[in-house]
Amino acid sequence: MAKITLCTDWLDVCSGCHMSLLDMDELLVAVLEKVQLLSSPITDLKHPPEEGVDIGILTGAVSNDHQEHVARRMRERCRILISMGDCAVFGGICTMRNFFDTEEVLRYSYVETDSTAPGQQVPRSPEIAKLFPKVKSVRDIVKVDVHLPGCPPPAHVIAYVLTELAAGREPKLTEDLLTYD
Amino acid sequence: MPNVRVTIDGVEAAVPANITVLEAAKIAGVEIPTLCDHPAIEPIGACRICLVEIEKQRTLQPACTFPVFEGMVAHTRSEKAVEARQFILNLLFSERNHFCMFCQMSGSCELQDLAYEYELDHWQFDRPMPKFAVDASRVFFVMDHNRCILCRRCIRVCDELVGNGTLGLKNRGAESMITADLDVPFGESSCVSCGTCLQVCPTGALMDRASAYMGATAEIQRVKSRCMACPIGCGVELIVRDNRVIRVEGDWDAEPNKGLLCEIGRFHPLHEMRNRVHKPLVRVNGEWTAVALDEALALAAEELAKAGDDVATIASGFVTVEEGQQLAQSPGLKYLMHPTAEQASTAQLADLDDADLFIVVDTDMAEDYQVAGFAIKRGVRQRGARLLLVGEGEDGAAAGGLAEWAMRRYSAAEAASAVAIAGEAQMPVFVAGPEGAALAAKLAGQVAKAKLLSLAPGGNGRGLQQAGFLQAFAGEKAALYHVVAGELANVAPELLQQLAQGGKVIVMASFREPWDEVADIILPMPTTFEKSGTTVNADGQVAQVVAGVKTRAATTAEIIAGLVK
Repeated sequence: MAKITLCTDWLDVCSGCHMSLLDMDELLVAVLEKVQLLSSPITDLKHPPEEGVDIGILTGAVSNDHQEHVARRMRERCRILISMGDCAVFGGICTMRNFFDTEEVLRYSYVETDSTAPGQQVPRSPEIAKLFPKVKSVRDIVKVDVHLPGCPPPAHVIAYVLTELAAGREPKLTEDLLTYD
Repeated sequence: MPNVRVTIDGVEAAVPANITVLEAAKIAGVEIPTLCDHPAIEPIGACRICLVEIEKQRTLQPACTFPVFEGMVAHTRSEKAVEARQFILNLLFSERNHFCMFCQMSGSCELQDLAYEYELDHWQFDRPMPKFAVDASRVFFVMDHNRCILCRRCIRVCDELVGNGTLGLKNRGAESMITADLDVPFGESSCVSCGTCLQVCPTGALMDRASAYMGATAEIQRVKSRCMACPIGCGVELIVRDNRVIRVEGDWDAEPNKGLLCEIGRFHPLHEMRNRVHKPLVRVNGEWTAVALDEALALAAEELAKAGDDVATIASGFVTVEEGQQLAQSPGLKYLMHPTAEQASTAQLADLDDADLFIVVDTDMAEDYQVAGFAIKRGVRQRGARLLLVGEGEDGAAAGGLAEWAMRRYSAAEAASAVAIAGEAQMPVFVAGPEGAALAAKLAGQVAKAKLLSLAPGGNGRGLQQAGFLQAFAGEKAALYHVVAGELANVAPELLQQLAQGGKVIVMASFREPWDEVADIILPMPTTFEKSGTTVNADGQVAQVVAGVKTRAATTAEIIAGLVK
């Protein structure tokens, strides 16, 4: 049987969800027998191929215009999009800054923290992505097919979801597989 | 009450006609999810999680408030009901901050449990993410409005069970906020820090400072035991993780407190700042020095032998019946550290929930015997019972703490007026501690229907009396005082003065202070969390104290055995 193809990417994220993906231990071997990983932030190839992929995984919230671009590109190139982790699904801990004005956040982060050297400025280069006023979840930006919450989602639940999709079934996150923390 | 026939999820049952669908479902063995409902308080149907489909009803109905009727057919897990619950959960999660990953209640949260049960893998609605202040003005627990789902359990227990009525609600709709009094910080309000609201909060809105993040439901054990801090003898549940008590909760199944505790029983043991006596301490040239147990016991036994029969053994209310019985074998006279109840009670604590008139004599029930005080307050608030305070002093009585619940306050000279009112009541109960006991008994004697509840400090006072500690210590002279204190914190200054006036003083205590002012030898003693035994409360109810944690330290029995050979 031909393997299904998989690409992953990360947005506003701590990378813990990808750690959980790698944390599958020996399950990883079983999953990789059914799933071909084409690109991810932790492989040499970073971007999903233009000709498309079966499954796309996005981790992290959408905080700026670059991340919106990454999210839209993944959506366009994958057949089934998995929003993985609390940040992607709910906005998660990244939404903590939604309580504050964006300029206030930037000023605090780059100028006012105790560890900042005096005289620092907020970087304003046009090459740097623009922060959105509010952090959004992935489903606020693009259509999501499978929601996989968790901070991070347990490795065996990620394996379950990929295995189900590889078998052509819709994964169903029941009580025992769901976690929000 | 006649029965009606109902069918719930296909289960037929005959149930009393005056109950709700939720109660009927319990009888039928059908589980309906709830969130704002709590067995100890009246249902209000605030959260709508318990919505069920009832045939012949136009819309879904909340099971917690909807009454059963003859021939009722209800479906609790129909597609419509389940969809409604998922919709409600989506609304609840959309309203405030319900991110689990940094919440101390994750793993113990009723909202989270429901979201798992109803398989919420994402939230349907945009969240306005309002930013509410966190009120950390109380000493023992914190209110985070951002986690609040407005179930009003806290408001209702404060009103219905504690009778304090501190909590309320301001504003409307999504702007609604739990408030204290007339919207003052919780720490400056009329809150008595009993923590009942904390115990019933279904989410992380109320946070216990001592146990936050210390253990979720799967990581803890619950050990049912007793509080020994006062003669009410409340049933407690010790929340234990890794051989440490992290929190104390009221035992809902226990008499006489039925889940309630006061600040002292719930919080004080977890916020103990005194120095623990881990090793025996003896004075060497005026300095406290830790010594091995054998050495300390030998020194103490030597002193005891020297004193012969001229020993006064003084036991606090933290001493169990078994410890008391063993101490009773030692030479000399046996005393209770606390005053005894001079008058025999004719009332039980449970009678406070039936009384229509309370006459509290010379006793501050807001300070002492607090959980009995709650029964009086809720009687006044919930049942229209009346409260009279009788006592000396400019403010009407030492009973000042309940003044706001009192109909009248009389001085002892005006007590005849209270007797006149009591004469017309159906069930007047006179309540007094040792100070007011004589007057209360005299007044109760003048009213035919009157009952008397005579209380005395000291958790196991009655148990110790049964063990042979018949009278209260009143400064009797002895060559040696053997004080068995346990974790007692509020030691009467007179006792310390009397002990300082001569004679050797050997103290068995869990904490150094204040005994290091007067003792010659301090021997370690387990706290109530660490020992098992029996205690007898003011009603004469015999209850078990169960150790929540194990220690390697010597037990009281071993130490007493070492002293009295």
